[in-house]
Amino acid sequence: MSKQKIVIVDADFGNIDSVENAIKHLGYNFQSLKKVSNLDKYSHLILPGVGSFNTASKKLQLSGWFDAIKKFASQSKPILGICLGMQLLFETSDENGLSLGLSFFKGHCKKFNSQNKLPLPHMGFNFVNHGNSIIWKGIPNPSPFYFIHNYRVKETDELAIASTTIYGDQFISFVEKEKIFGAQFHPEKSHRIGLKLLKNFIELR
Amino acid sequence: MVYKRVIYSLLYSKGFFHLSRNFRLQQVGDVDWLKNNFGFGETCDYIDELMITLVTKNPDKKEINNYFKDVKKLKENIFVPIILGGGIRTFDQAKYCFLNGADKILINQLAHEKNETINKVAKVYGEQAVTLMVDYKKVDDTNYSFTNSAEKKSMTLNNYFKNIENLNFGEIIINSIEKDGTAQGLNLDCLEDLTNNFNKPVLLMGGAGKPDHFVTPLKKNEVSGIVTANLFNFLGDGLKKARSFSIDNGVRLIEFQRIH
Repeated sequence: MSKQKIVIVDADFGNIDSVENAIKHLGYNFQSLKKVSNLDKYSHLILPGVGSFNTASKKLQLSGWFDAIKKFASQSKPILGICLGMQLLFETSDENGLSLGLSFFKGHCKKFNSQNKLPLPHMGFNFVNHGNSIIWKGIPNPSPFYFIHNYRVKETDELAIASTTIYGDQFISFVEKEKIFGAQFHPEKSHRIGLKLLKNFIELR
Repeated sequence: MVYKRVIYSLLYSKGFFHLSRNFRLQQVGDVDWLKNNFGFGETCDYIDELMITLVTKNPDKKEINNYFKDVKKLKENIFVPIILGGGIRTFDQAKYCFLNGADKILINQLAHEKNETINKVAKVYGEQAVTLMVDYKKVDDTNYSFTNSAEKKSMTLNNYFKNIENLNFGEIIINSIEKDGTAQGLNLDCLEDLTNNFNKPVLLMGGAGKPDHFVTPLKKNEVSGIVTANLFNFLGDGLKKARSFSIDNGVRLIEFQRIH
């Protein structure tokens, strides 16, 4: 058995079953935590999420998760935010009123432009054009990943943008900075390619 | 870019998966049969999403538990989004689906009643987590929506779409009662009943039986995807072939590659 021990943030906003299922399949140790506790024994943190930014942000702040995640990051341990979890790594979102994120990345989450006349939410597999950092090892470029969202990040630090995707216009589908990663798509629902990305994340030291 | 979706639908009742023809069910096999004998794992490498519906009328607690138990077993090695539901009437029933691994839940009856439960679910889990389904058929040249397993006429399909305009949900599946299980191709006339500014994803269900049937509907701008419950025609490499055929004929579907 590997030494990694993953903590999944289960702050009661949506389904974490598919993330657990994927990690179980990959054969790693994990623990899903509803309440914040001492995270020192964990090596990696995953912040999944569906639902609205506003609700999630409030819940995470009130329950102490925001501070715990910031501490985890300050110890240089890998963090992966998925979907809403990715958006929460940014500064703000205007979903249901302006609210604050963890601010690891610069930028703001906004709803897709409805003038594109494309169905919303953006739902289904779409291609991710990615860079060549270590987390993408063994993953063809571009590769299809599953998206399900109304809001997205348009701009951030150029250097943090690890992948982009086009739905009407181009948006940021993956960010990375040091050991903090954010995926707008769901690797845990993206066939074997998604599992590969999760495995690459978990193998990071 | 915009890619279309193919959702594979399984109908579950009393420990078995079923075929449906014009809403009459025929038992085909249990979860082990599906996993072991019919290459279901391979099939799932070529689908965009999986929908597993509990079709038992007024299921008791034991039946509901068996459903979730078999869902859990079935999706063990499947890594695509999962839609669960069938007969959801209350917030707690919806919540139970999410707790048991649903990424989206299926709502049918409640949408006819414009029930507030739908908005409540959307508020907690996000509107993208709510999939509506409407069953319809033609009566005297007009499309009508039906409830109670296609037994009870509800309203014109056009009125149905007006009725749901202010509900919070993520997408809608329009299911043809006449084409259900016939494998004769999908009906497209229901699209004319959509309201003008409808801009959520629309999926069509009922009648997909061979690769040919995918092309015309999936090429329509208004159609985001199709749902097929045709267990036999698309098991093993059936869906892979149907996807390749559609792509060759100009449909924007993703050609999934298997990686190891």
